[in-house]
Amino acid sequence: MAENQTPLTELLAESSIRLDASASGRDDAIRQTGQALLDAGAIDASYIDAMLERENSVSTYMGEGVAIPHGTLKGKDSVKQDALVLLRFPEPVDWDGNPVSVAVGIAAKGNGHIAILSQLATVLLDPEKAEALRTATSSDQVYALLADEDA
Amino acid sequence: MPERTVTVASSVGLHARPASLFAQAAAKTGVTVTLTSAAGKSVNAASILGVLSLGIGSGEEVTLAAEGDGADAALDELVSVLETDLDKE
Repeated sequence: MAENQTPLTELLAESSIRLDASASGRDDAIRQTGQALLDAGAIDASYIDAMLERENSVSTYMGEGVAIPHGTLKGKDSVKQDALVLLRFPEPVDWDGNPVSVAVGIAAKGNGHIAILSQLATVLLDPEKAEALRTATSSDQVYALLADEDA
Repeated sequence: MPERTVTVASSVGLHARPASLFAQAAAKTGVTVTLTSAAGKSVNAASILGVLSLGIGSGEEVTLAAEGDGADAALDELVSVLETDLDKE
């Protein structure tokens, strides 16, 4: 576990949790995720291109209806501060053949977000918690799942 | 049961792309491989979610174990994957 982890609410601001997003497809979903990172003041706009580039080389689909779009290593120069955003698509997005209900966008210079990503994976390994995340309707539910004491 | 202990070379640790490439390589061996973190938590190495859930950072030690035919060859291959900085490419 990373020692220099950043508190969850600091990394994933409440204003960066958007539970009623809709997207026409994968790239649209990635652009919206990037826009949310931009709105959070975490990146320069060029990072969004780096996110699309990364997705075209390796899918960031994690499983259980969740993808974690992020930029390439090169794109790190466009990151101003570490941040996460979470977009939920009540109408799932076709992500290279996988239905995606939740996209967690990542902007990271350091490793402060790794503990939260490992907690996200732990949530997704539990079918009931994964379902709870896909159907979350409040940011409190999202925080409760991602802040599980197992982290 | 054959085992290998290895230090994760990837500069970003075992997550994102390196985790994905590692889990794919583990699945491809056709052998059931167990990945255990220094903290003692074990997962199926071929499960991307399992690998990610360990939250392994760069420079951390992990243990790989496998059983049956081809176990040693599979472990040797996966050790070389972990010893490569997969995020450099």
